[in-house]
Amino acid sequence: MLTTPRLIVIALCAALNFSIGTIVYLVKLPIYLDSIGTILCALLLASDRKVAFVCAWLAATVSTIISVLINPFIPWFALTDMTIALVSAFATSAAVASFRARPMRTGAFIGSVVLYGVLTGIAAGIVSALIVAYVFGGVTGSGSAAIVALYLRLGFTVETASLLSGLTIEPVDKTLQVMLAALLYRATPREFVAMLQAPMPAAEAR
Amino acid sequence: MTPNGAIVLAAVLVGGAMLTRDLVGLAALSLFCLGFGAIELRGRTVRALAWSAAIMAPLAAFMAVVWVGVVGRSPGEIAAGVTGTRAAALTHVTVICTRLFLIALVTQLVILRFADMTPLAFTRALRAPVVLKKLIALTLSWIDTILHAVDRSRTALITAGVITPRFSARNAANGWILVQTVWLSVITIAIGRLRDKWPAENTLARLDEALAAPAPPFRIGDGAWIAAAIAAVATARVV
Repeated sequence: MLTTPRLIVIALCAALNFSIGTIVYLVKLPIYLDSIGTILCALLLASDRKVAFVCAWLAATVSTIISVLINPFIPWFALTDMTIALVSAFATSAAVASFRARPMRTGAFIGSVVLYGVLTGIAAGIVSALIVAYVFGGVTGSGSAAIVALYLRLGFTVETASLLSGLTIEPVDKTLQVMLAALLYRATPREFVAMLQAPMPAAEAR
Repeated sequence: MTPNGAIVLAAVLVGGAMLTRDLVGLAALSLFCLGFGAIELRGRTVRALAWSAAIMAPLAAFMAVVWVGVVGRSPGEIAAGVTGTRAAALTHVTVICTRLFLIALVTQLVILRFADMTPLAFTRALRAPVVLKKLIALTLSWIDTILHAVDRSRTALITAGVITPRFSARNAANGWILVQTVWLSVITIAIGRLRDKWPAENTLARLDEALAAPAPPFRIGDGAWIAAAIAAVATARVV
């Protein structure tokens, strides 16, 4: 399962998850984009969904381990990472044909991005809400805290307010992430995608 | 202390912080961490405290504004459907912030304890499957490659007038081009390494050999600190 090219792509996608924060910072955009590598890994290995899930999850886990050096609270969202890997491998990967179609079928591309982005966002929002409610007491340092505050002010419990806030913010963020992952997948050379499909054991690859 | 001992110690303390529900218990765990820092890190403990405070300050301010300023009552009071008080909200914020500060402090103490080791040496010393250690080593290498690619691509796209150095509408519209440029640059490097460079230098086999070396065994110091941490967690739960 873990051939050398696949190990390389897992490490690449983990590094992308980690580094994308720098890119976002440089471009000064008010978004997070911390799971693009996870979604991209699932798309690159879409031909075998179990492999896609394992590799996407590994990419998310490795980037989480390394991110501890910068942000000690990230490991709490490991379950969210697994959920994103799961949805990406078993749902989003169904759209690889429309993501890679040449010439681009704009309608199908946008439709798939929105559908799977919202799906990923809802799944991630539900899982994250539990973590935000129980570990962070309902409020993290992100902009979503303002929405949590609004729901709390309306009389919702911490759990419900976190869930509603997640369901408000996450679909937008994850749609952006699926769009960027799809664009990167589309730009990846066919030669590289072909290297990932070959069932070559790591030892032979050397 | 060995890296594996430090990771087990951190897991015990973080788990303890999560289980402890009141300020006195969290204060007891904080004291234990300060004791660990004073013995194992000495002067660097101040750095760990400063880093943890810096990372927690914005979060604490945010929580105080939301809970004390906007909501004005604690989660328990919301669940019970009573009017509530700002004092209860402040207590809730203090407990959550102390717990998160403790988690940040433990993480930073462990990182600073092994600051003199290179990332590869630290990874090598871990008791983990070789595949995971290899993935961590490769990812650290790719992060540098990606950050260099970001610098190059950003400079090129700014020069070409596609994006700007500061926040702008053009960045919002063309930011994805930077991401795509970086990815293409890195993929080209990956294909080159996989196909030509690494096989010629036998890089991956040499990395495997380096990482397959047995991890150093637990020392008495590891056991003593872990036992003390378990005792501290038990005390924090009782007080």
